[in-house]
Amino acid sequence: MRLRLLVSAGVLLVALSPCPPCRALLSRGPVPGAPRAPQPLDFLQPQPEQPQQPQPQPVLIRMGEEYFLRLGNLNRSPAARLSPDSSPFAAGRGVHPSPNQAAANFFRMLLQQLQRSLDSPTRPVERGAENALGGHQGALERERRSEEPPISLDLTFHLLREVLEMARAEQLAQQAHSNRKLMEIIGK
Amino acid sequence: MSPNFKLQYHFILIFLTALRGESRYVESQEAADYDPFQLFSANLKRDLAGEQPYRRALRCLDMLSLPGQFTFTADRPQLHCAAFFIGEPEEFIIIHYDLVSIDCQGGDFLKVFDGWILKGEKFPSSQDHPLPTMERYIDFCESGLSKRSIRSSQNVAMVFFRVHEPGNGFTLTIKMEPNLFPCNVISQTPNGRFTLVVPQQHRNCSFSIVYPVAIKISDLTLGHLHGLQLKKPSAGCGGIGDFVELLGGTGLDPSKMMPLADLCYPFHGPAQMKISCDNTVVRMVSSGKHINRVTFEYRQLEPYELENSGGNSIPEFCLSSL
Repeated sequence: MRLRLLVSAGVLLVALSPCPPCRALLSRGPVPGAPRAPQPLDFLQPQPEQPQQPQPQPVLIRMGEEYFLRLGNLNRSPAARLSPDSSPFAAGRGVHPSPNQAAANFFRMLLQQLQRSLDSPTRPVERGAENALGGHQGALERERRSEEPPISLDLTFHLLREVLEMARAEQLAQQAHSNRKLMEIIGK
Repeated sequence: MSPNFKLQYHFILIFLTALRGESRYVESQEAADYDPFQLFSANLKRDLAGEQPYRRALRCLDMLSLPGQFTFTADRPQLHCAAFFIGEPEEFIIIHYDLVSIDCQGGDFLKVFDGWILKGEKFPSSQDHPLPTMERYIDFCESGLSKRSIRSSQNVAMVFFRVHEPGNGFTLTIKMEPNLFPCNVISQTPNGRFTLVVPQQHRNCSFSIVYPVAIKISDLTLGHLHGLQLKKPSAGCGGIGDFVELLGGTGLDPSKMMPLADLCYPFHGPAQMKISCDNTVVRMVSSGKHINRVTFEYRQLEPYELENSGGNSIPEFCLSSL
């Protein structure tokens, strides 16, 4: 009876004891031009500057991300939510933003759309699982993931054409700048 | 000699000497003013060469169509990034790593892909590219700086990258190199004209237009061996011999697109076809026995043309997929 009581108390103590914060050390590879010293990365502490960025996740979520990045989630079309009417180009036609600002806005929104589509509805549950897994396993998963090449990006043809036209506009602007320089040199 | 004559002689001598120097200066100025080859002069080339290369920051998702130096620096963990590169049809793309600061052991990566890949579909397709798929990826974390300069096999390439640590990143220099016989091409523009030439090479070449277009083929030459124009068609279409096929589809991979027309008879008259698909490809299959050439023009279809299904158009297959 007493032994049973002691065992139950021990189990309760272990279950209710607070988990120490999980830490992982990032070690820099031999990369030239890497000025920083290794710094510890705490996965549990929130990063106030990055409220929307996905924190390093356990294997399942990471594999989900890889799947999305690898095969392109054909069931979901997050980029299709970016309709032409909602694009910054359409919105900006009356406001006339600068080309660079419009390009930056467009890419920022496109990236947010793509990253928002990666958010899993079970993220709070996965965060709890991550606490239990520990930091060193996260480092192993990162290394495993780094060995798997991303094969493609999920981008619609409509968005591909948009970025293509923006690149073309940038090329023409640079060509005009070069032509102006050339005329200045010839005119001397 | 009399002193006066001596004085005059010396004066004339000095005057002539001075004038000769001055006139030489004047002549050189005049020669510069009337130089018809001024554009190619060494001074002009030095002035143009001294111009700084084009530089800007690289975005997490980006498209580049001009040479220059591009730097990506992560301001926050960037886990899903890609940059597309596209040149003129007759250009190769050279990607040179200037500086790379990423943590490969920490899960960062930087991979160059020879071609474009979108939703799992590759251009050029596996059938049309000289390298197997895995060799088309060049991973910086595996090869390091041993492969510091990478040249594409066509006018398109792309790079995938992931950077966890803010402040890390890389700098690339993009250059373009001439390609005498472009084989696999993605057009930058929805309108244009191109001549695809395959000079006695056993290879398949595709020209891709990622727009719904009307294509007008003005000249097709299949087989021109030793100055003799073949009168008989090549040994049939249907995948045998040398021929040109028009493909339409909703993806990037020509091997997964629907063949809309096969051309295996040489002709010179214009033949037009409207293809209302997201991607239109003119593909030439060559056995290597002949010099094959096809010239075509293309223009983007107007919205009202996409709605109309009359005429020489095949909208049903592609519109149903939109």
